[in-house]
Amino acid sequence: MERRLQQTFFALSLLALALIVAAAWQANTPSWKTYQHNYHQLEAQGEPNAITKAAVLATPPEIHQFMLTGLQRVDRCTTCHLGVEDPTMKNAPEPFRYHANLGPHIPSKFGCTICHGGQGLATDVNGAHGKVDFWPNPLLSKDYIRASCGRCHKEGEVPDVPELTEGRHLFETQGCRGCHKLNGVGGSIGPDLTGEGANRRAPDWLERHFLTPSAVSTGSAMPNFHFTKEQARALTYYMLSLTSEEMGSYYSSVRLIPGPEYGRQLFVEKNCIACHNIGGVGAKTGPDLAGVTKAHSAEWLDEQLVNPELVYPGSSMPAYDLEANARKALLAFLSTATAEDAQLILSRKTRALTPEDVAIEAGRQDFARFGCVGCHGTELQGGVPNPNAQGGEVPSLLHVSDDYTKDEVIALIRNGRAPPLDDAKGPTPPLYMPAWKTVLSDEDIHRIADYLWSKQQKKAKDAW
Amino acid sequence: MNLFREIWQSIVRRDPLSTDKGKSELVFLNVWLHIHPAKVKKEHMKFRHSFYLGFVTFFLFLILVTTGIVLMVYYRPFPPQAYQDMKDLEFVVFMGPFLRGMHRWAAHGMVVCVFLHMCRVFYTGSYKKPRQFNWVIGVFLLLLTLGLSFTGYLLPWDQLAYWAITVGSNIGSYAPLVGGQLREWLLGGHTVGEAALVRFYVLHVAVLPAAMILFTIVHFWRVRKDGGLSRPIWKLAAPKPAPLVTIGAPAEVAPLKASAASSTKTYGLMEVVTGKPIFETISPEEEEDTVFSYPYAFVREAVALMITVTGIMMMSLFFHAPLEELANPAKTPNPAKAPWYFLGLQELVSHSAMLGGVVAPALMVIALLAIPYIDRNPSRRPSDRKWAIWLFTLFVVINLVLIVVGTFFRGPGWALVPPWVHVVGGAE
Repeated sequence: MERRLQQTFFALSLLALALIVAAAWQANTPSWKTYQHNYHQLEAQGEPNAITKAAVLATPPEIHQFMLTGLQRVDRCTTCHLGVEDPTMKNAPEPFRYHANLGPHIPSKFGCTICHGGQGLATDVNGAHGKVDFWPNPLLSKDYIRASCGRCHKEGEVPDVPELTEGRHLFETQGCRGCHKLNGVGGSIGPDLTGEGANRRAPDWLERHFLTPSAVSTGSAMPNFHFTKEQARALTYYMLSLTSEEMGSYYSSVRLIPGPEYGRQLFVEKNCIACHNIGGVGAKTGPDLAGVTKAHSAEWLDEQLVNPELVYPGSSMPAYDLEANARKALLAFLSTATAEDAQLILSRKTRALTPEDVAIEAGRQDFARFGCVGCHGTELQGGVPNPNAQGGEVPSLLHVSDDYTKDEVIALIRNGRAPPLDDAKGPTPPLYMPAWKTVLSDEDIHRIADYLWSKQQKKAKDAW
Repeated sequence: MNLFREIWQSIVRRDPLSTDKGKSELVFLNVWLHIHPAKVKKEHMKFRHSFYLGFVTFFLFLILVTTGIVLMVYYRPFPPQAYQDMKDLEFVVFMGPFLRGMHRWAAHGMVVCVFLHMCRVFYTGSYKKPRQFNWVIGVFLLLLTLGLSFTGYLLPWDQLAYWAITVGSNIGSYAPLVGGQLREWLLGGHTVGEAALVRFYVLHVAVLPAAMILFTIVHFWRVRKDGGLSRPIWKLAAPKPAPLVTIGAPAEVAPLKASAASSTKTYGLMEVVTGKPIFETISPEEEEDTVFSYPYAFVREAVALMITVTGIMMMSLFFHAPLEELANPAKTPNPAKAPWYFLGLQELVSHSAMLGGVVAPALMVIALLAIPYIDRNPSRRPSDRKWAIWLFTLFVVINLVLIVVGTFFRGPGWALVPPWVHVVGGAE
């Protein structure tokens, strides 16, 4: 017995030792070491000098990482993707290939995962590509990777990514905010979409969802908007770009890319043509802007936009509240603007608006911006299915004045209401009118009511 | 050569181990070993008496202390660095996953073993006089183990940790009057956040381990002073041997009297305390039943140690400790579950917050503490204490059933879902 016990103790001690050795061996042979070894062999291949060759082959294995404090991440991708910044690796096999077209996005400043997704901290293939449990941010496929541009470039146009602009436009015009909150503004019928791109990084799911909401989310209250494939993709891009992560000042300074297209948009929006002309086309109150970028330095022009009176005491030009990149964009547009541009801008201008028109127009914009159009339709036609609500759908607003006074409608918008039921014992209809008083000011609500009243169509009294 | 022998002798300061004197001195003169007696009863070493569960629990605690200290080197107790440190342990630190695995599995193992040890002590009736208070200390050690495990659960700062602690600390807040206060004091706020992480860290690495060590010392000391382990129940039928030396327990023989014959004799302190001359303390029959601790007891303990260590190592080599997404207070998993050993509680809470969250656990702890004082039956024989055994078994089974139901049979919305049914859309 005693002898047996001593032998057992000895055997178990050996086993413990073996287990430690096994654990150490496991820890000492990660796959990234093999990748580094292969990479150094690839490097050494074309090396004529034997000494350099030996030195390359003898490079000790080490983890490479980018510490990106402004992005709150650490990316170790280049531990295996060693050739990313080496142009001679242009034709190398993956994972060693050179990354072309990075432009200003140098890896040491941006890392990899901010665009590509994946798990920057990981040092094994599956973990790093984020294709593991409990990592919500897997590698984005090539089709969707450009959506990541919108994580920094949150406004204006992004070159080569029209999907983002289109997605953002659809979001603001199709009434998504009626049900969804984004950055604190919007309804509460659907989920808050602030940070949606960080929570649900599943492009396939998103895209199918936009085509037919009920196909991927059974019982979804979201109406089918009958988006085209392109529109669904654009919205998917936009959703993927919505992350609420905090970014350092360096990254948030490029919210806008100061391109000429965005400058043109600002030029129209701010109605510059009302005072200025380009090559003689336009108003003559202010100076001709053709060639203005050649006549003055960029700093001078920038100052002029921030504080015109500082440059020209007594100038009648208003100080526009534009951010630095918006000013750059405007100047980028002016550097290319010609008389034809001015002609085009003038030809699209509509007649001057009366104060009443302005109020109604503001109401129309609020109606779109806060998402009322999502359910009530861009033409107030209603018709979005809402099972077991009276009539089975969201009501049209074209005849509200028949049933309600303006004050009653204002109260309805302020306080919201549950729709009257078709069948009192049936299920609660998925859609309801939210209370808007916390989101909209009284002024906004009155303007929306004004807009509704401007659109009323009188029912023929004796229709039946 | 003589110098080396001299150095060695200066360290051990004992006779060779081939002699009985040497074997005794090995135990007597060594601060770590002298918690053992020089000689132990053969029956105390029997596996089927104690299953060595107390030892295994203690060895798991040693593993936890060792791996825990190494883990502290790599850990910063603030969000979100805490989570990143977990990832670094997984991906960058040499043998990091193995280390973390050992800590995790040893922690779970300790909760299990401390409970099993308690069951063993109950079923063998070993909490009875004079060991009543050592049982009470044992219950405190169980609570400390749960506390250590619970505070450690939060430290990885992932979704699992965050929501388990949120749920766990909510259960605590159902206590009337003090509940909310207690929770706020523990978390340093109303929700689990940065303050909670630092507090849990301090509790986990300093306060609770210190308390654990102090209570363990008392626990072991009392076992030793009570003459080692209790008698195995199969020996209870045998004629009662000469009274054991039970220092501190009331002597069953008359105290020493200074008689005429002994007036010239001087007594040692031991003799005064035990109430009888030292040479009489062990009867010849008893002497036959004992063996030297070295090597008989030590080799058994060493085997138990190695089984524990290799078992935990093997677990850690093949199973990594879980790590979910970074803690996200805005994203509640459905269902959010407490650590498994509190799932019985959570199950009770799901039926009644007040009864299940406060009354039942409080009664359980009070009942456990009071067992040695309620159970007045002096007999340790199972046939004499059927009621006690039935009641305790019921307590164990109810706890196990509740934990199993909470762990495997509860799905989204705490609905009853058997583990073999896959809930579609549950994860979405």
